[in-house]
Amino acid sequence: MISHTEYRAVVEFLHREALLADEARYAEWLALWTDDGVYWVPATTDPAADPDKHLSHIYDNRGRLETRIKLLLTGHRYSQEPASRMRRLVSNIEAAPAENGELVAESNFALAELAIQAKREMHWWVGRTTHRLRRVGGELKMCRKKVVLVNAAEPLPNLSFLI
Amino acid sequence: MSSPSPNGTIDYTALVHDDRIHASLYTDPRIFDDEMERIFRRGWVFVGHDSEIPSAGDFVTRRVGTEPVIMVRGKDGDVSVFVNRCMHRGTMVCPADRGSARTFTCPYHGWTYDISGELLGVPYPGGYAAFDKSAHGLTRAPRLSSYRGFVFASLSPAGISLAEHLGSATRLIDRSCDLSPAGEVELTAGWVKHRCAANWKALPENDSDGYHLGFVHRALFSTVRSQYQRVVGDERAIKAVVRDWGNGHIEIDWSPGYQGPFEWLGGVSGSAVADFVAALERRDGAEVTRRRLLGGPAHALIFPNLFLGETNIAIVEPVSVEECVHWHTPMFLTGVPEFRSRLLRMAEAGMGPASFLMPEDLLVASRNQLGLHARTAVWLELGRGLNRERVDAEGRTVSHVTDETTNRALWRHYRTVMTEA
Ligand code: FES
Ligand SMILES: [Fe+2]
Repeated sequence: MISHTEYRAVVEFLHREALLADEARYAEWLALWTDDGVYWVPATTDPAADPDKHLSHIYDNRGRLETRIKLLLTGHRYSQEPASRMRRLVSNIEAAPAENGELVAESNFALAELAIQAKREMHWWVGRTTHRLRRVGGELKMCRKKVVLVNAAEPLPNLSFLI
Repeated sequence: MSSPSPNGTIDYTALVHDDRIHASLYTDPRIFDDEMERIFRRGWVFVGHDSEIPSAGDFVTRRVGTEPVIMVRGKDGDVSVFVNRCMHRGTMVCPADRGSARTFTCPYHGWTYDISGELLGVPYPGGYAAFDKSAHGLTRAPRLSSYRGFVFASLSPAGISLAEHLGSATRLIDRSCDLSPAGEVELTAGWVKHRCAANWKALPENDSDGYHLGFVHRALFSTVRSQYQRVVGDERAIKAVVRDWGNGHIEIDWSPGYQGPFEWLGGVSGSAVADFVAALERRDGAEVTRRRLLGGPAHALIFPNLFLGETNIAIVEPVSVEECVHWHTPMFLTGVPEFRSRLLRMAEAGMGPASFLMPEDLLVASRNQLGLHARTAVWLELGRGLNRERVDAEGRTVSHVTDETTNRALWRHYRTVMTEA
């Protein structure tokens, strides 16, 4: 169990992360990460998925996360130029203590994306996220984010925004 | 038999010229139907790789064109490809992507087939006066053939052999497989499927297009150094070439621009690399090994749907006239597990919906598709490089990497296939 205050902090973190991703505030989103961050979007819903054996959609360490953001900031990442219009709902949040004073939060999300770069289609993205959070200098940061899309193994359209 | 071809009403020689093609080739559903018949049923189509189904009963499901199939390893160790359709009333028998099975049971009325396609049983057999189970096994792809573990099927009983179809392009497959000391590659990491709102032909054309890199991928090239850096910038300084291998097989060869070994692998070093190089040298000798490690794997399309994407293998899957899917998986080298993590990370960086390259390619393809709906302007220009392409000693046309030699080669073969008797 965690305290009510801690739970509140987790909820606020998840809401803020969602807002920054929705609004393509890339640099601010990157600042939510620790230096040892790992951003993982498996290409399967199989809980036994192993990023060292199986292909993922995303398996970024800090260096690659920075490259991902740099691309978006060039203005020439055409699959996100202009950025998709997005709003996501984050819900069913459960938080628990983890080792080393860290927190683990599980939540569901539903994201509506208007991909305006070509056909102007609405895309629905739904899945479950696991965040691992750590206090750094009094502030919560994420050191791990895993996103399991319900349709992870299906043909997906461009996913170059922040999921 | 399939429905009669609408070929009588579409004149492909009027749509496909040597240096320009007509936009309706990407937008006309009748042409799509024609392609499914002539290219994806009569021709040879890549289905999957041996390594995906190592043991008896292992299967994957795929589509040959738009026809659902099961590729399964039998008890005898041989690979079969069956039409994924019950012989009773046509229900898809196996809905899973992959798995391992002893039998396949149709969910509708329970007809059950074994992994050699034989019909084992029909519930309530009293409803038939006489029933010949042997005449109701799953339908086999009429022709099946493989090359170095790459399994191809044809849904037509007659036609040229796989060897004739591949011709000298087997050397492209060799180039990739020979990088493994065991001479084999393994496609065991699973596939990522990337949906594209464009006609399927946009994918093979773009996969072998050396002209777009500095523009479509400007974000990446202005951010990180990569092996592709040498194909942007001053036109005369670019050394990479495109090459036409015949029968629609087309290649981009980056290697003339490479200056050292392993540029295709992002540069590697360490003891695992030393062991790998030594293993290749034992098999091939120092000089051949040096050339292999400089050149790296092939970047080539094996017509119509297999893309040897350097350290990735990709499949082009047509869905409908305006939709297709690009599948990819990293190409693991048998006997070199040390490279696996790197190959996985390279696959994630290069291909797929969240990668640093393909989202731009598929975005441009979908915007291309939108433009091709115009009918006030209808031609696509493919004349680039006609002024400088040359024929090499082996009869292959070669040109500057930015030239449309590959597009012309693809479309010339397309016209042949779409008009032959
Ligand atoms: S359709 Fe398969 S058993 Fe009837
Ligand atoms: Fe590209």
